[in-house]
Amino acid sequence: MSPQPQAAVGAPLSRVDGRLKVTGEARYAAEFDVDGVVHAVIVDASIGRGRITGVDTDAALAHPGVLRVIHHGNAPTLPYRDNPGSNNLPGRRLRVFQDDRVLFHGQPVAVVVATTLEAAQHGASLVKVGYDAERPTTDLAEGEPGRPANYARGDVEAGLRDADVRLDLTYRMARNHHNPMETHATIARWDGNRLTVWDKTQWVPGTQTELSTVFDVPPDSVRVINPFVGGAFGSGLRCWPHTVVAALAARETGRPVKLVLTRKQMYYGTGFRPAYEYRLRLGGDRNGRLVAADHGIDAETSSYETFTEAVMSPGQMLYSTPGVRQAYRTVPLDVNSPIWMRGPGAATGSYVIESAMDELAHELGIDPIELRRRNEPAQDPSDNAPFSTRRLLECYTVGAREFGWDRRKQSPRSTRDGDWLIGMGMAAGVYHTAVAPARTRARLNADGTAVIESATSDMGPGTYTSQTQVAADALGLAVRAVDFRLGDSRYPQTPPHGGSMTMASIGSATLDVCDQLRRQAIELAVGDEESPLHGVSPDDVVVRGGRLHVQGNPTRGETYQRLLTRNDRARLEAEASFSPPRGERRSISAYSAVFTEVAVDATLGLVRVRRMLAVYDAGRIISPKLADSQAIGGMVGGIGAALLEHTVTDHRDGRIANAGLADYLVPVNADVPDLRAIYLEGEDYEADPIGVKGLGEVVIVGVAPAIANAVFNATGRRIRELPITAEALL
Amino acid sequence: MSIELPESAVPPPTGAGESSSTPTRRTFIATSTAVGGAVVAGGVIGGGSLLGPEEATAAEAPPSSRVSLTVNGTRRTVTVDNRTSLLDLLREHFGLTGSKKGCNAGACGACTVLVDGERSEMGVPPAGGWGRVNSCLTLAVRLEGAEVTTIEGLADGDRLHPLQKAFIDQDAFQCGYCTPGQIVSGVGCIEEGHTGSPEEIREWMSGNICRCGCYVKIVRAVQQTAGRK
Repeated sequence: MSPQPQAAVGAPLSRVDGRLKVTGEARYAAEFDVDGVVHAVIVDASIGRGRITGVDTDAALAHPGVLRVIHHGNAPTLPYRDNPGSNNLPGRRLRVFQDDRVLFHGQPVAVVVATTLEAAQHGASLVKVGYDAERPTTDLAEGEPGRPANYARGDVEAGLRDADVRLDLTYRMARNHHNPMETHATIARWDGNRLTVWDKTQWVPGTQTELSTVFDVPPDSVRVINPFVGGAFGSGLRCWPHTVVAALAARETGRPVKLVLTRKQMYYGTGFRPAYEYRLRLGGDRNGRLVAADHGIDAETSSYETFTEAVMSPGQMLYSTPGVRQAYRTVPLDVNSPIWMRGPGAATGSYVIESAMDELAHELGIDPIELRRRNEPAQDPSDNAPFSTRRLLECYTVGAREFGWDRRKQSPRSTRDGDWLIGMGMAAGVYHTAVAPARTRARLNADGTAVIESATSDMGPGTYTSQTQVAADALGLAVRAVDFRLGDSRYPQTPPHGGSMTMASIGSATLDVCDQLRRQAIELAVGDEESPLHGVSPDDVVVRGGRLHVQGNPTRGETYQRLLTRNDRARLEAEASFSPPRGERRSISAYSAVFTEVAVDATLGLVRVRRMLAVYDAGRIISPKLADSQAIGGMVGGIGAALLEHTVTDHRDGRIANAGLADYLVPVNADVPDLRAIYLEGEDYEADPIGVKGLGEVVIVGVAPAIANAVFNATGRRIRELPITAEALL
Repeated sequence: MSIELPESAVPPPTGAGESSSTPTRRTFIATSTAVGGAVVAGGVIGGGSLLGPEEATAAEAPPSSRVSLTVNGTRRTVTVDNRTSLLDLLREHFGLTGSKKGCNAGACGACTVLVDGERSEMGVPPAGGWGRVNSCLTLAVRLEGAEVTTIEGLADGDRLHPLQKAFIDQDAFQCGYCTPGQIVSGVGCIEEGHTGSPEEIREWMSGNICRCGCYVKIVRAVQQTAGRK
C-alpha cells in the first residue's frame, strides 16, 4: 500500500482528553458511582516485625455504621495460586490476613468495612491489635546481603593496578517513593462468581490475572476498569495487597467496597525505589580513557521478595571500558517490597557513573564533555552489538551550544552572584528501549468514525492522544473522528504501561490494526464496480480526511462513509497482534544529555536550580507537545531525587518518619525554573515499526548527576549522597 | 478521623432531606448516605438480614448536623456526619469528584476549592472576596451559609473558563489528578492579583503539588489568563 500522509503524527496537538481533565469530569478509580458501595479502611501494623497476639474488634464493631472487621483470625483462606508471567517478584507474595506474621511496619493487619467513610476511618482507629514485637532490621548497612548477580569483562585488577588515575568512590542514594497525586484505590464488586474492580493500575491485565489467581476464579470472570490513572511512575506496575483486601471485603460483606489508601499507607503499600550503596573503583589513563571499573552495588529489598532492576546496565554500556566487574547484591530487610520507579535502575546507575566521570574530569583537568567524547564506544561494549542509533555526541554538541556550556569555569567555586555560588554541570542519560507483544482491535464505522480498543493505560504521558494520532494518520481520518479507548480488561491484552514501551508496543499494534482496516476499505473500493476507484491498484490508493483517492489524483475517489453505506457495511473490523520482530542483534536505547546551572547559598547551603536544558535522542516523536511536557516532568522528578526526596525510616520499629507530603519533600512550583527540552529529529525503525525509542524513563535519567556535578562546580564540595541537602553542604 | 464534639454542641440528627431547589439523584444519595449509620442501626434498610454474627449491631447514630451551603450556584441542605470534611461531602455525597484527595492533610492542594471570603477563619480572605481553601481540612459543618465553587462550577455551560482553556493550550497537566486543584487555585491566584511575574506566580501556586512536574506550563497558563484580564 501507499504510505499514508502524516498529518497528525508529529503535530503539536493538545490532549484529546484535555477537556475531561480540566473540568473534573475524568473519572479515576475511586470516583465511579457504584450503587450500594460501602467503605473500607485498612488497619496497619504498628510494629516492624513479629506476631499478632490478638485483635480486639469490640469497640470498632460497636461504632455506628461499622459492618465488619476482617483480620487473620476470621478471614477465609485464600487460594493464592501462582501467577507466572505477572510482575510479582521472586519470592512469596504477601498474603493478606492469612497468618499472624508481621513482616514490616504498616502491613495490613485488618480492614474495617462501614456504611460511611467516616465510620470506617473511626472504626479503624478503634481496632486494638496486640503484638509480640521483635526488633526489625531496616537499615541497608545492617542487613545481610544475598548472593550477588555478577558481570565481568576484561582484567579489572590489572587495569586498576596499571591505571594512571584511580578513584575509589562510594555513593549513597536514599529510598524514594513515587507519590503519585492520586493515592491507590480500588472499588470491588462481586456479582456471584464474577468480580469487577475499578482499580488504579498501570497494568489492567496484570490486576486481572492477580485477582484471578488469588481468588482462584477464571480470568474471564474478573473485569478491571481504569480509564484514568492519576500518576503512578511505577507504583501501579503490579497488583498490590490492598486491591485483594478490597475484593475480599466485598466478598465477605456481599456489598461493593471502596478502599482508598491514605497518603501514609502509600509508603507501606505500593513500593518504592530502593535505597542504594554503590561503590565504584574507576581507573583511567592520563588522556582520560577509562581502563577499568569495579562496581559493588547493594540495594534494599523485602524479606519476602527479591526486587532487582537494570542498575548494572549503564556501567556496562555507557562508555568504552576494557575491564568491568560488577556485583549487585540485594539486602533483604523488614520492609515492604520495592517496585520499579521512573527510570528504574538507569537513573540510579547513571547517577553514580556520571558523577564519577565528573570527578575523573576534574582530577585530569579535562572538560567533562571532552572526557565523555574520548570514551564514546563505536558499538555496545557489553556485547559488541551494533547500535541501532546512538546520537549521544550530537546531544552533547547541541546541548553545549544551546546551554552556553563554554561559559562554564572549569575550576570550581569560581563564579559568584552575591551570596550565591554559581555552578554548571552536565550528565549523560540512557534507557534501553523495550518492546513487548501487544494487541488492539478496531472498527471503522459507516459514519466515517473509528474506534480503537486496547487494555493499555494512560498515567499521564498521553496514550489517548498519541495513539489517536497514530490511528488517525493510518486511517486517513481527522483526529476528532478517532476514538481510542483503553483501561478495560475487556479490550485486547497489552503489556504493562511502563518501561517506556507503550508507544513502541501498543503504537505498533495500533498502526497495524489501522493499516489492516484501511487495506480492507481500499480493497472493497477497488473491487466495487460502483466505486470511482474500481480497478485501481490498491497500492495506488491513499486516504485523507476520511476520503479514499488515487495517489496524486485527489479528484478520483470517495469517502469511507459512501463506500461503506453503498456496500451495506455498518462497519469494518480488524484485530492486530504485534510481536517484536527478531531481527539482527542490536543495542537499542534512548539517550540524553542534561545541562544545568545551580546556585548554592554560600552560608546556608541552600541549592536552587536556576535553569536546565536537556537534549534527547529518542527516535521519532509522535506527539511533540506532550513529549515536551514529559521531558520537563522528568527533569522535575530528577530535581526531586537530587535535592529533596528522602524516605526516612526509624530503624527502631521500621516506621517511616516522613510518610506524608508535608514531610517527604517533592518539588513544588517555586522549586522549578524555566526548563527546556530539545528532541533531535530522527527515527529508529530498527527499534520498532513506528520508529520510537521511548521517552518516559530516559527523561529522568541524568538529571540528578547533572545537578550534583553543578553543585560541585559551584562549591568545590562533592556530595556523594542523594538527596544533596543543605546540611550536607554546610 | 476521630473528631468529636462535646454532647452539648451536637444538634440532634434530623434525618431530614435537603431542600435544594432542584433535587437530583445525587442529592438524594447524599442525604440517605449521610444518615446511613442511623438507618442501618435501626435495621430499616440496608439488609438487616445480611448482618452476620461478626457484623455490628450498634444502636447509636454518629453525631450529625444540618448544614445549608451553596455549591456552584446550587443551594443544598444536607444532614451530615460531623466528622465529614468538605472534600468528602463533595466527593462522596454530592458526587462532585472533580475536587481530588491527594493527601487529606492540606499538604498537596489537590482538593482546593473557592469559598466566599466572608468566613475568614476558613482561609485567607483576599481582597477579591475569594478564598482558596483546602477542602480536606475544612469540616463540612462549618460551611453554614457558605458559597463554594469547585472545578465543576468554573465553566459556563460548554464554554470553558479561560484558565481551563489555557491549561489545555499550554499542556499544563499530564495525569490530570492535581489539575482541578491547580486550576481552582490559579483562579484564586489571579483574583488575588498575585500574577505580577513568573516568580510571583510560582510562589503563590506552590501550595499545589504536581507530581508529573508541569509547573513550567502551569505558570504559563496562569500568566496567559491573568494577562487577558
